[in-house]
Amino acid sequence: MTNYIIALVLGVLFGFSLNKAGLTKYFKIVNVFRLTDFAVLKFMLTALVVSMIGLYGLRGMGLIVFPTIPATYIAGNLIGGLIFGVGMALSGY
Amino acid sequence: MTWMKTQFQKELWSPYVAGILLGIVGVLAVWLSNSLLGASGAFETMAGMIGKALSPKLFDNMYFNFIMPPGITWGVVLFLGTIVGGGLGALSSKTWKISVNGDPQWRAIFGPQTWKRWLLGFVGAIILEYGAGIAGGCTSGLAISGGMLLAPAAYIFIAGMFASGILTTLVIYRKRY
Repeated sequence: MTNYIIALVLGVLFGFSLNKAGLTKYFKIVNVFRLTDFAVLKFMLTALVVSMIGLYGLRGMGLIVFPTIPATYIAGNLIGGLIFGVGMALSGY
Repeated sequence: MTWMKTQFQKELWSPYVAGILLGIVGVLAVWLSNSLLGASGAFETMAGMIGKALSPKLFDNMYFNFIMPPGITWGVVLFLGTIVGGGLGALSSKTWKISVNGDPQWRAIFGPQTWKRWLLGFVGAIILEYGAGIAGGCTSGLAISGGMLLAPAAYIFIAGMFASGILTTLVIYRKRY
């Protein structure tokens, strides 16, 4: 139960940050593919860097154990990514 | 205090600030629940639930039995929270409105027809979710959550996503690219 409450609260913060970064808008998503507006990239990479530092720092202090890391299967990841990009550019979400 | 309030009510934050917030959320997800943020997985587990109820035979396969077992998972709750959070974000900047085809850039490229917007959104979303299923995650579940654990899968996925995204927009926008 606590786990679900945590999920709900984190979900709210997740959605809030997406909205404030403008990722809920069609033109923001598509313009990153047109290379005219890099907000999506700035947002994604900032999040990546912050959480990377946080996670590896906390693991270094022995406070957390990493969950199962997403599996790498090169062909699947790449083909999935290629298909995903088409859908993303078409729908803009 | 007033500074805080005006910042809170802004429609768009600097992507760096919003990114820091998401980064902290990503850390908390691992720390508190030992889970990863993700959106596409929630659709798959919910689809699995509906599918198993409607046609158990068709959904009795490897994918829905082992890879994405159906159920109200942590991800589904997270996903519901995301909808609420997005709504709260829009309310906080007083930009909340119901719109069926509100993006000026979309209308400039594709024309004013609302059905076109919905059809393309629907078809695009199917393609997107299918790709996410093959790759093992979406932008949040694989690219960001996998990337922060330095999973090679995430970076291969990001490369693929941008390559085909740029190509698709090139095809759609042509001269207006």
